[in-house]
Amino acid sequence: MSTAFILVFLTMLLPLLSYLGSLSRVPRLDNAISLSNVAIALFLYEFIPLSGTFYVDFTTWVFILMVTSIHLLSQVYSKSYFRKQEIWIGENLFNLLLALFTTSMLFSLEINNIGLMWVGIEATTISSALLLMTEKTETSAEATWRYIVIVSAGVTFAFFSIILIYYSTGTLELSSVLAMKVVPSLTLNVAVAIALIGFGTKVGVFPVHTWLPDAHSEAPSPISAMFSGVLLPTALYVLYRIYEIDPMRNLFVWAAVVSVIAASLFLGYQTRYKRMFAYSTMENMNLALIGLAIGGEYGLFGALLLLLSHSFGKAGAFYSSGSILRYTGAKKIGEIQGLWKSMPVTSSALLMSSFAVTGTPPFGTFFGEFLIFYSLFSIHYYAQLILLLFFVMAAFISVNYNVTRMVFHGEGEKKVEEDSVMSGLALLSSAIPLLIGVIYVVMSIVAL
Amino acid sequence: MSAFGEVLLLPLSSLILITAFYMQGQEFIRPMIRGQLVQSILLAAISLIMGFITGDYDFIILAVLIVVLRGFLITYFLERGIRKDQSHLHERQVSVAYLFIISLVFVLTAVLIVYSVVFSGIRTESITGNRGILVFPLALFFQGLFLIASRRTTYAQIMGYIEEENAIVLFAVFLLPIPLLIEASVFLDVLALVVISSVVVVEKFTHERVEELRG
Repeated sequence: MSTAFILVFLTMLLPLLSYLGSLSRVPRLDNAISLSNVAIALFLYEFIPLSGTFYVDFTTWVFILMVTSIHLLSQVYSKSYFRKQEIWIGENLFNLLLALFTTSMLFSLEINNIGLMWVGIEATTISSALLLMTEKTETSAEATWRYIVIVSAGVTFAFFSIILIYYSTGTLELSSVLAMKVVPSLTLNVAVAIALIGFGTKVGVFPVHTWLPDAHSEAPSPISAMFSGVLLPTALYVLYRIYEIDPMRNLFVWAAVVSVIAASLFLGYQTRYKRMFAYSTMENMNLALIGLAIGGEYGLFGALLLLLSHSFGKAGAFYSSGSILRYTGAKKIGEIQGLWKSMPVTSSALLMSSFAVTGTPPFGTFFGEFLIFYSLFSIHYYAQLILLLFFVMAAFISVNYNVTRMVFHGEGEKKVEEDSVMSGLALLSSAIPLLIGVIYVVMSIVAL
Repeated sequence: MSAFGEVLLLPLSSLILITAFYMQGQEFIRPMIRGQLVQSILLAAISLIMGFITGDYDFIILAVLIVVLRGFLITYFLERGIRKDQSHLHERQVSVAYLFIISLVFVLTAVLIVYSVVFSGIRTESITGNRGILVFPLALFFQGLFLIASRRTTYAQIMGYIEEENAIVLFAVFLLPIPLLIEASVFLDVLALVVISSVVVVEKFTHERVEELRG
C-alpha cells in the first residue's frame, strides 16, 4: 500500500473521524482533525498525479483542497451558528451527516471509476438532504423536497450516460477510459450530452437548475456555504471528467453561456440576499464550465482559479448572511439598512465576499474570469465572449448594488455585539480570494 | 430455456409498462406502492431470465438484490410511512383520468422522438438480440418523469423516482449489465434516498407553490 493511497484514503476517513471527535470530551478535537485533513490535502500535492484505486491529478487536487477547507470552515462556523438555535435533527446527527456529506464529495472526486463517481454524487444528495432541513420550517421542508426530487431525477438521467460509456469503452475505470483516447462516436456523443443534462442538474446548468436557489436560500448558512462552495464544483468535476472522454465543446460552451445569461437575468430581480448569492453561484459555475470545456493552459487554469477563489468567497458571503439573518431576522434585501454601523465586521466581510464572487480585481475570481475570457478569445468564440462580457457585467452590478445598499444605505439599527467566530470566519473566508489573487499576480510577475 | 426465455422478455417488459401506467392512474397511495412492488418483481424476473439466457450469474444476483432491496425493503419503508388511519391517502385535487391520457401521449411522443432521433443512429444491438427492446426502459423512464411532474404528493413523486431507477436497471439489463458492485451501490443509494424521503413525507405531504421560493 503506497503512501499516496493512504493519504487519499485518509482524506475520506478524516471527516468521519472528525465526527467521532465531536462525540469525545476533548474540546475542539473535531476541528483539529478537520484541520489536519486540510494539511493532508496540501501534502498530497507531492504525490500527484496518481492512478490506481484512486485517480488524482492537479485538477482533482484543487477540488480536494476546496472540499477539505470549506468543510473545516463550515464545521467551526456551525458550532456558533447553532449555539442559540435548536437543531431539529439533533447536534450529533447533524455532525454525522456533515461528515458523510464531505466524505461522499471526496469519494466522488478521488475514486477512479465513473460508475462509483455517480454513486458518490447520489450519496451527496442523501447525506445533505436533512442538513438542508435543519431549521424545519415549512419553506425549508419544501426546498428540501425540491432538492431531493429534482436532483435525484437529474442524476438518475445521468446514469444512462454511464451505461452508454461502459457500452462504448468496455470499462468504467476513469484512467483507462481517458488513456484510450476513444474516437468520438454517436453513442459517446449521446452519453456526454446526457451527462450535461443529468449532472448539469446538480451543477446549475439552465434550465435544470431550479432546485438551486431554493436549497441555497433555505439551508442554514454553513450548509449553504458547503453547497455553493464545494457541492456544485464536485458535480462539475464529475461532469468535466465525462466531458474529457468525448469533448463536445460547442454544446458545453453554449449551454454554459445560456446559463450565465439566465443567472444574470434572475439576479436582476432578486429581493432576498441568499437567493441572490445562489444565482451568483449558478453564474460562477457556468463560467467555470466554459473554462473547463475550452481547456488548455488558460481555460483550465482560469476555471480552477475561479472555482478555488469562489469557494472561499461564497462561503464568506453565506457566513455573513448567516450572521445578518441571526441578528436582524430579515431575509429581504430591502429590509436591511446601514449594516456598516450595526455590524461593522460582518458588513466588511459581506462587502468583500460580494466583490470576490463577482470577479472584482484583484480578487482571484477576477483573474480566473479573465483567463476564461482570454481562452474564449483565443479560439475565436467572439459571439459567446461578447454575450458573456455583457451579462457578467450585469450580474456584477446587480449583486454589488444590492450589497452596497444593505451595507451603506440608511441609518440601520444600533450596533450589535457580533459573534466573533461567525464574523471572523466570514471575514477570513472573504479575504482568502484576495490573497489568491495577490499570489497569482506575484507568481505571474516572478515567472516573467 | 434461452429461446423460451427470450419469448418471455417482451410480455414481461410490456407488463412493466402496464404497471407504470397503472400507478399513474391511481388516486390512492397504497395501490401505487403495491404497483411499484409488482414492477420491481417483474424487473427481477427479467434479470433472472437474462441470467439463464446468458449464463451470467451477475444477473441472478441482481434479481435477488432487486427483490430484497427494491421489492421488499423500499415497499416496507413506504408502507410504514402511512399510518393505519390514513390508509385512504389520496390526491383529491388531481384529475387522474385526465393525467392518465396526458401521460400516454407524453410517453409515446417522447419515446418516438428520442428513439428515432438518438437511438436509431447508434449501434444498439442489445444482448437480447432485439434492439427494439430498449423502447421499454425509455418509455418507463419518461413515465416516471411524468409521474413526478404531474403529482403533488411526496409519495407519488417518490414512486416516480423509483420508476426512473427501474428504467435505468432495465436499460442496463437489456444493453449491457454494468459491474455488480456499482449496481449494488446504486440500489443502496436509492434505498437510502427513499428512507430520507420517508422522513420528509412526515413533514411535507403535498407540494404547492411557496411565495418565498418564487423567482
